[in-house]
Amino acid sequence: MKRKLVAAAGMMTLTVTLSACGDDGSSGAGGGGSSDSITVWLMDGSAPEAWVSELNAAFEAEHGVTVNVEVQQWDGIQDRVTTALSEDGTVDVLEIGNTQTVGYANTGGLADLGDFADEPWNEAMLSSARVDDTLYAVPWYGANRVVVYDRSIWEEAGAEVPTTRDEWIEALEAIEANTDAEPIYLPGQSYYVLGGFIADEGGNFAVEDGDGWAGALDTRAGEAGMDFYAQLQSFSNSPTDNDEASPQQSTEVVPNGEVASWIGLGWEAAGAVAAIEEQGGEADFGYFPIPGKTADQLGHVFLGGSNLAVSERAGNPELANEWLRMATSQEWAQRYVDANSGGVVPNRTDVTAEPEAGTFAEAMVRSADVGFLPPLTTGWANVETEPNPIKELMTKALNGEDYSGAAQEADAEITARINRE
Amino acid sequence: MTVDIEQAPPAPPRGTPPGGRVGRAAGGWRPSARWVPYLLIAPAVLAMLAVLGYALVRNLLISFQAFGRRQLISRTTEWTGLDNYRAVLENDRFWDSLVRTVLFMAANVVLIMLIGTLVGLLLNQLGRRMRLVLSISLVAAWAMPVIASTTVFRWLFDTQFGVANWAMRGLGFDGYEQHNWFGSGTSTLVIVTVLIVWASVPFVALNLYAGLTTIGGEIYEAARMDGASGWRVFWSIVAPIMRPFFLITTFLEIIWVFKAFVQIYALNGGGPDRESETLPVMAYIEGMGQNQYGTGAAISVLTLLILLVAMSFYFRLILRQERENETA
Repeated sequence: MKRKLVAAAGMMTLTVTLSACGDDGSSGAGGGGSSDSITVWLMDGSAPEAWVSELNAAFEAEHGVTVNVEVQQWDGIQDRVTTALSEDGTVDVLEIGNTQTVGYANTGGLADLGDFADEPWNEAMLSSARVDDTLYAVPWYGANRVVVYDRSIWEEAGAEVPTTRDEWIEALEAIEANTDAEPIYLPGQSYYVLGGFIADEGGNFAVEDGDGWAGALDTRAGEAGMDFYAQLQSFSNSPTDNDEASPQQSTEVVPNGEVASWIGLGWEAAGAVAAIEEQGGEADFGYFPIPGKTADQLGHVFLGGSNLAVSERAGNPELANEWLRMATSQEWAQRYVDANSGGVVPNRTDVTAEPEAGTFAEAMVRSADVGFLPPLTTGWANVETEPNPIKELMTKALNGEDYSGAAQEADAEITARINRE
Repeated sequence: MTVDIEQAPPAPPRGTPPGGRVGRAAGGWRPSARWVPYLLIAPAVLAMLAVLGYALVRNLLISFQAFGRRQLISRTTEWTGLDNYRAVLENDRFWDSLVRTVLFMAANVVLIMLIGTLVGLLLNQLGRRMRLVLSISLVAAWAMPVIASTTVFRWLFDTQFGVANWAMRGLGFDGYEQHNWFGSGTSTLVIVTVLIVWASVPFVALNLYAGLTTIGGEIYEAARMDGASGWRVFWSIVAPIMRPFFLITTFLEIIWVFKAFVQIYALNGGGPDRESETLPVMAYIEGMGQNQYGTGAAISVLTLLILLVAMSFYFRLILRQERENETA
């Protein structure tokens, strides 16, 4: 008995130590940038494995160097990127989320990519990669969220795919009344989903105010957006103090319970399908864009996506540029879109995405036109660090605190952070 | 809170003559021997200077700079004098955290000393077999790595799957269906307190027991003969003899709890809404979390100063005691 206990304690210690290493290890491990290799940081879920290995094989054949791809988790990525950019030769090419690129460009850590300026980039994506007409990154892909639903549960409940918010609520009510399933899984702090609802009202997280920016949550738009979020969230069993990554909704929540619908990105939907199949089940997912207030206007969605940048301190800037040029060339960009089955918004105007009917990609592309971006200013990245004031506000509002008072506090924090460089 | 047993000097029983005098009388005085103690201590001092001293000086320098993400990446130095300190001292959050830290520390130290003393006395009274069982459980709690025990506690009090909620329901309490134990700062800190007290009691208890074994049985016997109650024996015999032990242990616990970071941060990240933030956690969140390294450094320097002031009382006590010993 005691031996078992000792063994269990030992195992746990080991796991904890290992997972702790896993967190840090990735940042120091590669140390690439010598003459015969370059190091590329890509985010979890960004690049299909086949595409990466084919691309790197082609690159290695052409230039005779090894490409070390290190996959990074989104959680805590800002610390790692900051550290990597401050060190010599840690990383050559790196993927940076489109809301954070401007912030890093301002630190002087990203190389000027003027040579790439004349490519036919997607204009909307380009705005997140440029500061004062200097290009610090190139667009790689765009993505936005759609509603993923379990077809068989919806059929059992007699729920219809909605085209307006009211129909959406009716469908969720039908599922609640007619099945045992959770009508929608919506964690309390999915703040980009909330951002879409605020954008539906014509608002945003922050607005320009004189020379600087100011938080804009204590507004009519902010409150109306939060009201609708709360209405949806009341159909979920999720706690109010977690976001979609804790627990990971796609792999930890959806496959382990009867979830009738959830709001997610393409890589999350793919992850959920894989997790369900691993358990011996079969995913029966349908997809629809987030409905708007009326049938002729889809709901706003956050235009997520990533850019690729070269570190100013890259060990091998020429090869880094060459890799970037190849990865974002028309040929490889098209292959990237194809490898994602059209599930991404292409970065170049000469690349086309032709998603099949009924797929995630089709639903996503439909709402790509009604995208919104958070304020593209250098200080926005500060707002997104934990503890994130928007997330704290959402939990308070969902727990029944007075919205306006909590929103004023959040606005004060946003204003303080967003005007910091 | 990483602590090494070596850090805690064993409580010296009073009557022993200071070690130096014995050595000198036995070995005789040789000039070359003068440097031996310094040579022996040199590696430890050098290692400490390299690891701690350097970091301390750097931290102090950074606290006088505007040091954020841009300065880190572009490697520029911008001296701003006392700006960081001014900003921190004008920040209500700092004062809230300070009050919270002091209250949290006080509650923890009182509980640790109280329970630790009781368990130590119990160890002294138990028979051999039960004492062994208790000692092993104490050592196990003491030896448990902090992150491991924190992870276990996180799950014990989990909203959906936690044992705590299950137990409360089983005992017939209402409202523990999905009760969120980490829903408020106070509730979070109470759980941290349970965790820290659980992990710190063994140190006090085992050391007290070690000290108690040096008290001869005849003193107790004599006291009993005079009709002293257990209460009286403790206050008139154990407490005075063990006074140096209680002093040093209390002050060590004050230091350890004051700078407790992992337990608080790993349990709930100082949340919800920064309501369980103590000074070390605040320094980390402002500094590392939000890339304001200058501000974080200023907070940690202030934390250090506060601790030094608290510790000065301890040093004064020690000095006074040594003077008393010399005159006695």
